[in-house]
Amino acid sequence: MTTELPHVDLLRVEHLTRHFKIGNTLSRRTLHAVDDVNFTIGEREIVALAGESGSGKSTIARMLAQVYKPTSGQVFFEGKPLSSITSRRDRLRYSSLVPMVFQDPFSSINPVFRVQHGVLRSLKLHRPEMSAAQRLAEAARVFEVVGLNPDMLQRFPYELSGGQRQRVGFAQALAMRPKLILADEPVSMLDVSIRIGLLNLMAKLRDEEGVSILYITHDIASARYVADRLIVMYAGQIAETGPIEDVLTHPRHPYTQLLLSAVPDPRAPLSVAAEIDHGEPPRVIDPTPGCRFRWRCPLAIDTCAQVTPELAELRPGHDAACHVAQTSSEEVKAFS
Amino acid sequence: MLEVSGLSVDYIMDRGNVRAVDDVSFTVSRGEFLGIVGESGCGKSTLLFAVAQLLAPPAEVAAGTVTFGGTNLVGLTDGQMSMIRWRDMSVVMQSAMNALNPVKSIGAQFKDAMRAHGKFTAEDIAARSAEVLKMVGIDPAHLGSYPHQLSGGMRQRSMIAMAMLFTPDLIIMDEPTSALDVVAQRSLMVQIKELQLAFGFAVIFVTHDMSLISHFSDRLMVMYAGQLDEIGPTRAIFDRPLHPYTQGLLEAFPSIRGPRVPLKGIPGNPPDLARVPSGCRFHPRCPYAIEECTEVVPDLYPLEEALVRCLRRKDGSLPL
Repeated sequence: MTTELPHVDLLRVEHLTRHFKIGNTLSRRTLHAVDDVNFTIGEREIVALAGESGSGKSTIARMLAQVYKPTSGQVFFEGKPLSSITSRRDRLRYSSLVPMVFQDPFSSINPVFRVQHGVLRSLKLHRPEMSAAQRLAEAARVFEVVGLNPDMLQRFPYELSGGQRQRVGFAQALAMRPKLILADEPVSMLDVSIRIGLLNLMAKLRDEEGVSILYITHDIASARYVADRLIVMYAGQIAETGPIEDVLTHPRHPYTQLLLSAVPDPRAPLSVAAEIDHGEPPRVIDPTPGCRFRWRCPLAIDTCAQVTPELAELRPGHDAACHVAQTSSEEVKAFS
Repeated sequence: MLEVSGLSVDYIMDRGNVRAVDDVSFTVSRGEFLGIVGESGCGKSTLLFAVAQLLAPPAEVAAGTVTFGGTNLVGLTDGQMSMIRWRDMSVVMQSAMNALNPVKSIGAQFKDAMRAHGKFTAEDIAARSAEVLKMVGIDPAHLGSYPHQLSGGMRQRSMIAMAMLFTPDLIIMDEPTSALDVVAQRSLMVQIKELQLAFGFAVIFVTHDMSLISHFSDRLMVMYAGQLDEIGPTRAIFDRPLHPYTQGLLEAFPSIRGPRVPLKGIPGNPPDLARVPSGCRFHPRCPYAIEECTEVVPDLYPLEEALVRCLRRKDGSLPL
């Protein structure tokens, strides 16, 4: 019998919080962009992080990429806290294991160099043991993996379409032999006919290259298409999380229900009569305790205004932070 | 009410002209909701600008007419056009953040629009501004607000309120919801539909997101590489798309319900309008293309309730 090593998540986030100071010296206020967020990402897993703009999705990605330092809380990568990374070598190693792919393929590639420039440069920086010939061969290999002809390495960015540029972004990330790719809205600027190809590429990277992906998106349908698990954010906190099919078929948090009811679905029957929600997501400035969704929630009870709801498991592996859902035995629908 | 006939728009470039809109014809009846969908670079925004006579150099109308309420708008002077634009036909742009003046309050911008198109007293302007703002569900107190004080959804709704100042017969909308979140998007779409039912104006709605208008538009027009590929009743197109491109577009949308099936999307990329493929412009990406498609330029053929630009639909060799 082989001895089993204790299971370590690829990435674990504990009580992650990021506040921004706003206003001047006379009126110091604090914007709570991300508040007490906990989640894990396993090996070979695509986790979708969904929510409205301003819900804190990109702030989380930036903390994972070490662009922002957390106000409090801790990120563990392969069991080790990110705060223990101090040397340049360790920082380089981490950023090669956890690279980022950006939203806008038109501004994230340097227009004055051939597209091979970015790939070769990151290879030189992160895999210094390779010779120039090996680097070129590796660049050609990653281009093939992402579905680009290796001839494209010699092209300039302006010669490429949006979809091809975004594939270059994934090729650059892949050249560093990553464990986890942080993809911040990687398909939202692409045309519909191109998007699905990129989503298929993300699934291929998971299945064939063993890479995990944090897929940040506001498009629930595309999240369902590629992701294994879903995290729904609202106003800087996690509203609901779980296996994606289970969350979508049994949404327990009223916000998740609202989000799902708003997704246009041409295959569903016509229902214009659906109640309109004119609410707006709050800017979370100096918040008081209580549920941040309560002003828009038709189910809100007195407790919601006093106690901040915590995530609790309501179905296997499926948590929601809602007082009403946690106290009622049946599934309550606020929006359908 | 609006009849666009044989409309072509060229961009005059040093290396030769690029035809962004090629021989497009369609009509819009009173109170109708026409959706126009297509990928970026297919000419849908240029088409809208041509209809509203907002084209600026290097773009110009090369051929065709735009007849609105009996008048051909092509070739009208700015002075003549300003009598029609905003009073009878108004335009809502894609990004309200850029379309609204950041240093003027909403009320001041409403006043400018009304002053530019007629003579009104200050009381009339204040009353009408408050009225249209209420129609879109915004408290008239926000007339004193500046654009940065409003959320994205409110900005876009106040743009629509501004477009309704003169209760026009036609409102042209260029992706008004694309900068919004799904929940705000949905509530804006429902609101546009309610206003349309209440006031009876016609809407031309341009978007790249077909699923968004599936429940709101009466007729749907699909554009590809500057040409009209398919036009017909929205429901019919969703239930039975005729053009292979429309089929591909519909199959490119993952759904949040039903079984999770692998999707293919459409291989390849939309063509550069300066170098359009020979024959049918879609043939390099089309799974059903035959020899003939690479040579013969297809026309629009009537089929059932729709018009479709596909040779294999003309001879019926492609099973439905």
